[in-house]
Amino acid sequence: MNLIRDCLDKQVVDRHGQNMGRVDGIVIQLETGKQPRVAFVELGVETVARRVSSSFERLLKKLIRSQAGEQEARYRIPWSKVIPAGIELVANVEAEKTPALRLELWLRRNVVSRIPGA
Amino acid sequence: MKKLLEISLGIVTSVGGFLEIGSIATAAQAGAEFRFQLLWAILLGGLCIIFLVEQSGRLSAVSGHTIVGAIRERFGFNYFFFLFVTLGLVTLLVLAAEIGGVCVAFEMATGIGFQWWGIPVAFLVWILIWKGTFGVIEKGVSLLGLVTISFIVAAIIMHPDWLAVARGALPSIPTHDRSRYWFVAVSILGASISPYLYFFYSSGAIEDHWDENYINVNRVIASTGMSFGSLISIAVLILAALVFPPRGLHADHYSQLALLMQDALGHWGFILFVLSLGIACLGAALEITLEVAYLAAQGFGWNWSENQPPIKEARFSLTYTLVIILAVVFVLIGIDPLQLTMFSMALTAATLPISIVPFLILMNDKNYLEEFRNGWFSNFVVIAIISLAFLLSLVAIPLQIFGGG
Repeated sequence: MNLIRDCLDKQVVDRHGQNMGRVDGIVIQLETGKQPRVAFVELGVETVARRVSSSFERLLKKLIRSQAGEQEARYRIPWSKVIPAGIELVANVEAEKTPALRLELWLRRNVVSRIPGA
Repeated sequence: MKKLLEISLGIVTSVGGFLEIGSIATAAQAGAEFRFQLLWAILLGGLCIIFLVEQSGRLSAVSGHTIVGAIRERFGFNYFFFLFVTLGLVTLLVLAAEIGGVCVAFEMATGIGFQWWGIPVAFLVWILIWKGTFGVIEKGVSLLGLVTISFIVAAIIMHPDWLAVARGALPSIPTHDRSRYWFVAVSILGASISPYLYFFYSSGAIEDHWDENYINVNRVIASTGMSFGSLISIAVLILAALVFPPRGLHADHYSQLALLMQDALGHWGFILFVLSLGIACLGAALEITLEVAYLAAQGFGWNWSENQPPIKEARFSLTYTLVIILAVVFVLIGIDPLQLTMFSMALTAATLPISIVPFLILMNDKNYLEEFRNGWFSNFVVIAIISLAFLLSLVAIPLQIFGGG
């Protein structure tokens, strides 16, 4: 597998096929004397913001901290729980119980459900 | 039999959904100011959109990706983000122009100023998307859009000098108002090659679960639908060339556009024009609004489908809600819808390479399309026309803004 071509930026779905986001980053573990190992795929706005520029990441972090407190705006899925399936990566997790859908669920509860016809 | 029905419905929706404020306004101004001389621009734009729509359907049918999803995957987040910001902003202006178009139709029908219709029209667009499904939006409104065929009927009734019309198919150097000529040419190309058309089409192919068996269906729908659509734009240009110059008008105010079909069809011409303008712009406004939301949702990997209730996809539904609110501001502050249209169409032409260059690279990528990749001819046609539109826009837009020529 070519990590950048076949994994980075791919759509991630949970075990029920629910969209969770895209692979925003890949975490590789380095230990002396061992081969580098892919440890996690990472999802979250902070992760992608870092890819744009470090000042954009700082700005976004500040904004998130001021609105949502100290909650982590990134979510790591262990590599062992991820299986490539066609054009997607299937994560063996329950999307709604992970931080990946925190904003989505908050918006559903606090905004969309209050609009008639939702 | 099922495929035949799908092809017919696909063609009908492409034809009915083709015309919008951009194609009406640019073709009308071209006809009014330069008679048949700018017909070539509609033909070139039409040819390019046939190829682009066919390619976007093929990409989705074969790879299962939407254009946006594939661009994010192949070119990374940074490029997607750049595309998202630039295309998002330009598309927002185009949406404002379309909502303005619906408001102008209401003004013509009632006599009440277009700004007053901003909020009701924005609400209408929003409620149709909020409550409707993809089928209602794509097929329902486009079917109503078939009323725009009345432009073709009116053009034929007017008995134009067909030889003079045919001469316009070949590009020629204008004898007067050169900078204006090129600016209108660029706006026509921008109106014909609207990115929202093929981005939306690719999302539709995924919503309708197309696969490789749809390659031929896609080819027929794209070529026939877009050709007939372009014919309607040509009819608008012909009508404008016959109606405005004798009256000494330049179609530079939207109220003049209502004259387009009156010589041919009398009072019915006025009614059909108002209906055509209102329905065509409403259809375009719905598709463009959804397209901006698709752009965000597909690029960031959210849930997206117009067939799901809003509660299942809060970020997607709030994105389109926000987009409508932002766009209607332009109408409420009273920016002239016609000026906004011409400007946003030229800007569309100037930004075409941002979305089309990566799209073309994808269309030649074996990992996405295997044996269904583009041939040299498809690549050549799109590259040639896009380069022309881009280069013309680099010269024509500054000239139009700062004067000269």
